[in-house]
Amino acid sequence: MKPAIRALGIATIMIWIILIVFAVTALYSVMKLGIGFGEPQFFPSSRGIVLSLPFSLNNSGYYDISKLNITTSITDSNGTTLSTSDTFVPLVSKGSNVEAAHNITIELSDVMENIGLLFNDSFFMFDTFVSLNFARLVPVQLSMNIPVPWGAPFHNLSVGEIQSNNDSIAVPLSFENHSFFDITGTIELDVYNDVNELIATGETSLATPSQQLYGGQIDMPADVSKLTESGRVHFIFVTPIFAVERWVPYG
Amino acid sequence: MVEKGNKKGLMRRLIPNVLKAALWGTITFLFVYFLPMLLYPMELLPIEYSQFFYVFVGITVFFTVITKLFSGTILEHAFNMTRALVMIIYLIAVFHGGIIRLTMPMEEAPVNLAADLTAILAILTLVNLLGIAKTMFQITEFLAKKTESSQLPEPQ
Repeated sequence: MKPAIRALGIATIMIWIILIVFAVTALYSVMKLGIGFGEPQFFPSSRGIVLSLPFSLNNSGYYDISKLNITTSITDSNGTTLSTSDTFVPLVSKGSNVEAAHNITIELSDVMENIGLLFNDSFFMFDTFVSLNFARLVPVQLSMNIPVPWGAPFHNLSVGEIQSNNDSIAVPLSFENHSFFDITGTIELDVYNDVNELIATGETSLATPSQQLYGGQIDMPADVSKLTESGRVHFIFVTPIFAVERWVPYG
Repeated sequence: MVEKGNKKGLMRRLIPNVLKAALWGTITFLFVYFLPMLLYPMELLPIEYSQFFYVFVGITVFFTVITKLFSGTILEHAFNMTRALVMIIYLIAVFHGGIIRLTMPMEEAPVNLAADLTAILAILTLVNLLGIAKTMFQITEFLAKKTESSQLPEPQ
């Protein structure tokens, strides 16, 4: 009986020692883990914009980190998913440093489907999910939901009081570029009176830097006799990355 | 006269056990409470887990004192077995069946952390099961010794 009791006692002590050593070294390894983030960068792509988040992982602990997977999904304020991006790092060995970038592609066609995003400020939800396997023994998952404000490029688009001469009209136009990018391109506009008759057609160039107010007057030849106190203006904004139309009332 | 002798014998057996229990209780308390407190401040733990820590200290110290107090009796082994069972239940409760979830408040948004510690829980349960097996052998040995001593012929 005694040898069996001794054997069980020794086995118990050994397992406890292994567990305590693992717990202490694992805690130490987690504390020694260096996580760094670089400056986020935006790149234009053929389909839209790429948001690149560079990060580095310096594993100076005692255990490997494997199957590191970062998933980011962007949803608009209505909960519609606009983009899902994945970054997978198969292994961060002990004593190594891994540098990678998590690229989030935002397709402008998706943004265009929700045209309100171009004219009204809103917010996006960045749902980030990180999973990894620590020491090949402990799977760990991290998740966070970060609301990111979205600035509309044509926020508060409005037409002022239309001034008329003998054969031309001047359409005062203003908007605020709240987006993170500069807007360049052209504005095409058609002015209609209150019975939907075309009064004038014009075009002007557009160059509004990010976070700047656009305020301008567009002069164009017109059939002034048809001008009424109220009506509608049909705008077509053409930029290198998108083209969008909008009806704005005047008067 | 006989009763007085019994009392004396009982006291002679009880006093060393009480001293042993007090000493081991103090050592265990220092080891499971003060040492972790020195190494890792409990304020950094979420409230739920700091409460679990105090429960752990309570269980460990209580069973150390009570087993030393009843050392040399069958109750010592009974309490050892109870301790192992209580520890298994306690660990399952603390580890929430193996998955630990924490919410860390950050500046931008709270971060939810989930760690799958099923493997660690399984090893901890195994250690306690080994403890139960060991105690069962000790009980068998204890009873065997007791039977042997009761069957020994009276000295002439």
